[in-house]
Amino acid sequence: MNRPFFHPPRIQRDLLILPSDEYYRRRYRKNRGGSWLLLIVTAAAVLFAAIGVRAQSLEAADAAQFETVSMDESGSGDLLFSSGEPGRYIPAIHLGTEVDIRVRGLVAEVVLAQQFRNTSNEWQEAVYVLPLPENAAVNGMEIVVGERRIVGKVREREEARKVYKKAREEGKRAALLEQQRPNLFTSRVANIAPGEEVSVEVRYLQTLRFDSGQFSLRLPTTLTPRYMPGAPAASTQSVALNAHGWSLPTNEVPDAEQISPVMMPLAEIASHQVGDQDSHQMKIRVDLGMGLPLADIHSPYHEVNFRREENHHYRVGLKHGAAPMDRDFALFWRPQTSSMPSAALFAEQSAMPAEPGAQYLQLLLLPPQESLAARKLPREVVYVVDTSGSMGGNSIRQAKESLLLALSRLTQMDRFNIIEFNSNHRSFFPRPTAATSDNIQRARSWVESLQATGGTEMAPALKEALSQQLDHQAGTLVRQVVFITDGSVGNERALFELIRQRLGETRLFTVGIGSAPNSFFMTKAAQYGRGSFVQIGDLAEVQAKMGALFEKLESPLVTDLQVQWPQGVKVESYPKRLPDLYRGEPIRLVARTDGNALGSSASGEVVISGRLAGKRFSRSLSLSAIAVDDSGKGIGSLWAREKIAALRDEQRERGPLSDPEALDPLRENILGLALGYQLASPYTSFVAVEETPVRPQSESLKSSPVPNAVARGQVMQSFTYPSTATGVYGQMLFAAILLTLGGLLRLLQRTPQVVASLFTRWRLVRKGVAHVERSLRRWLRTVIPDMRRRNACINNGYRSGVSR
Amino acid sequence: MHPAKIATWLSALCFAIGLWQLGGSAWLLFKAEVAQYLISDSWQHQLASGQTQKPWPWADTWPVAQLKLGEEKPLTVLHGTSGQALAFGPGLLTGSGEPGNLDEPRTTVIAAHKDTHFRNLGALTKGTVIQLQDRHGRWHFYRIRGAKVVNSETDRLPVADVPGLLLVTCYPFDAVSARGPLRYLVYADYVDVASTVQL
Repeated sequence: MNRPFFHPPRIQRDLLILPSDEYYRRRYRKNRGGSWLLLIVTAAAVLFAAIGVRAQSLEAADAAQFETVSMDESGSGDLLFSSGEPGRYIPAIHLGTEVDIRVRGLVAEVVLAQQFRNTSNEWQEAVYVLPLPENAAVNGMEIVVGERRIVGKVREREEARKVYKKAREEGKRAALLEQQRPNLFTSRVANIAPGEEVSVEVRYLQTLRFDSGQFSLRLPTTLTPRYMPGAPAASTQSVALNAHGWSLPTNEVPDAEQISPVMMPLAEIASHQVGDQDSHQMKIRVDLGMGLPLADIHSPYHEVNFRREENHHYRVGLKHGAAPMDRDFALFWRPQTSSMPSAALFAEQSAMPAEPGAQYLQLLLLPPQESLAARKLPREVVYVVDTSGSMGGNSIRQAKESLLLALSRLTQMDRFNIIEFNSNHRSFFPRPTAATSDNIQRARSWVESLQATGGTEMAPALKEALSQQLDHQAGTLVRQVVFITDGSVGNERALFELIRQRLGETRLFTVGIGSAPNSFFMTKAAQYGRGSFVQIGDLAEVQAKMGALFEKLESPLVTDLQVQWPQGVKVESYPKRLPDLYRGEPIRLVARTDGNALGSSASGEVVISGRLAGKRFSRSLSLSAIAVDDSGKGIGSLWAREKIAALRDEQRERGPLSDPEALDPLRENILGLALGYQLASPYTSFVAVEETPVRPQSESLKSSPVPNAVARGQVMQSFTYPSTATGVYGQMLFAAILLTLGGLLRLLQRTPQVVASLFTRWRLVRKGVAHVERSLRRWLRTVIPDMRRRNACINNGYRSGVSR
Repeated sequence: MHPAKIATWLSALCFAIGLWQLGGSAWLLFKAEVAQYLISDSWQHQLASGQTQKPWPWADTWPVAQLKLGEEKPLTVLHGTSGQALAFGPGLLTGSGEPGNLDEPRTTVIAAHKDTHFRNLGALTKGTVIQLQDRHGRWHFYRIRGAKVVNSETDRLPVADVPGLLLVTCYPFDAVSARGPLRYLVYADYVDVASTVQL
């Protein structure tokens, strides 16, 4: 009876909750984990502490050194470290710009007024690298001080330098405008008094661009820093002026210091204010007077508003009054479809008394259009994409986007390849390969992975692109190279020569990327490459602009263009040989005729013929009905500018003379032309000098660069300074933080256990401590005699002694 | 999911990434240290043969000089200042003066990472002698004139047409981020050339 009572009730085994194997395993593991954890956390902490100590000792070391050493104490330190004390650099000159553009016929007349205000306490010389459109015919420069105007004159380059240098030394106000590239000029103003403002007005003419029924005009405001290939070389300037360039001359770019201005982020420049005006702000006014009703006026990178006036005049201005000079200003407009011109002809009587019978003619003619449905020829396209450091920021995104769009346009019949270049170049396929969907997919992911870094060694990449297509087996293929770049190189000439020599049957198209691309390179490379170009300044534009380029790539060309002038008229027209035209491009030329041949009843007709998709066509234009403008000076200047460009091309093709001392006939030709038509050119500069000195000889003059703003969306380049940190400390710190965090998490999870274990350990510790204390006391007792005991002992002894 | 489980996973993740980062940084330091042995070896070969020799077949750089900062052990300087070159040793800036080329004098610029090869640059004091061996085996002597901190975004590299030596590294030395704009420059004047000692 009792037995069942004491016997434990039978419970089925699966209802019994017993600690499972898993439980024991985890417990076991956790305990082990705990000790590991302790080890790692301690290690991390020690490491952390070590780094901290190391950093502190270094800091202490270099702080100590800065007290003892200062490089500026030595005399020639200034030569080495040009920009004074470390820290922020504040420009001495405040820059304001006002641009007035008058559009008449096919020409824009531009007056660019720049105000240089000296905000320092010293007399200053301002040096500014002025970007202008690549086809600008610069025909005037004036200094404006208050009410006075000092008109600049064209002189031979070296002579102009001498005149300017002399005036600068004598304390006279002077300005010098030198051409470094067709689209880069150096503007210098000497002897600006402290607090004074001196204005320099530059006048130039520019032919409008016309493409696919749309006129356009572009005004650069800054530049992308150029890459200077080659080995360093001594400067070849005979009359040296301090250029303030950050780059040194190289054997491939001998004038590198002239075209490498100080660049500063816009935010930093704009913080330099005079009154409430930021530096580097630009005001633009455009007077559109083409005499045509316009349908669409827009600016892709600026907000503009426009007002309509009588006689189809339009006035365009910036919506917010002024805009920062960190991106090109572009303006597009389109005549209404009903009044779309198919030809335009402007004539002008020469204003020079030396040539009374000369007349100038400007012509624009639209060739017939072929419908787009024309048969597409299989193509072999090599895409070359610039991944240099200057493409960093928005530019590389635009380039990638353009490239991906281009890849999506390829068909099964086409072949393609991609080459990326910076300091080195890499080809995706060794040779152009069939555009199968698999290949395109691989190429796409490769393109996505590209990054912008390094130099711009363009020549090897171009060579590679142009030599990949030499196999003659693919005779029916249309060979094309699409070159996507910002053109930020200093050795343009060498590249043009390379294109010219290696082009063969290939056609080269350029895609200009960024807020301030090198338009000179884009247009000229496309001209030598017998192709066309587009410029993309914004990610939103990629689709439309690339679309326009694809239309050109895929449509038939207008070829074999010939011009036939009336019998007996002496004509010199440029371009000498009309280039092949892509879809939407007009025929355009400027010509000079002699003997008052235009505008009279005996003038006759000019006939232009060509071939489009196998069919011949011809257009004739009557020269007798045109009105000859007596007052203008525009077309003459443009003609001279075109002729100079043609002569420069000729010079480039010929190469340098074998005897460097000999007189270059082409140079003499250009010089004569530039002096005659009062134009800036590679061999002539504008110089203006005031008669009376303003700066007392007791005061010294300081030369200061006026920085250019870093183009919008671009990453500031740390000029030539390499990046010299690995970020190892950051990585270690990150590692330590993560390890500690991980450890803490585990600790938190096991709090009760840890507390318990800590508690037991604490008891142990206390026990230990107590033990140590006890033994210490015992030992002390043996060493130090106890005075009380002793006294007691003595007392006892005494007593006992007494008692004894 | 149970919170305890999340915590377990999270801590495991933290440990994994932490160890990975620790390994990565250790690898960087290890690479910088070990590559110097390989490079100095190929430098010696190069001196003996007169032929440019890459330290390993796929390297995109090659040794161009040997640098001795004060009493420290010598560092082999590589061509170029790209990230790849600087990971293995100090780099000679392309376009700056070639070591030992006294016919076309120009400042020689050598850059290295502040946390590997030039970690002790801040400890160099004025007057310390720096030695540089050119590709003909000659040792050139330079004496430190001073040091300076510059902002690489606004200042340009001070290269002049005198045969000086400019050492560049990042500043501040204990900066955690690798992208700071400040650079620490040490400038040394050219003193003398010593002919090689043939053993």
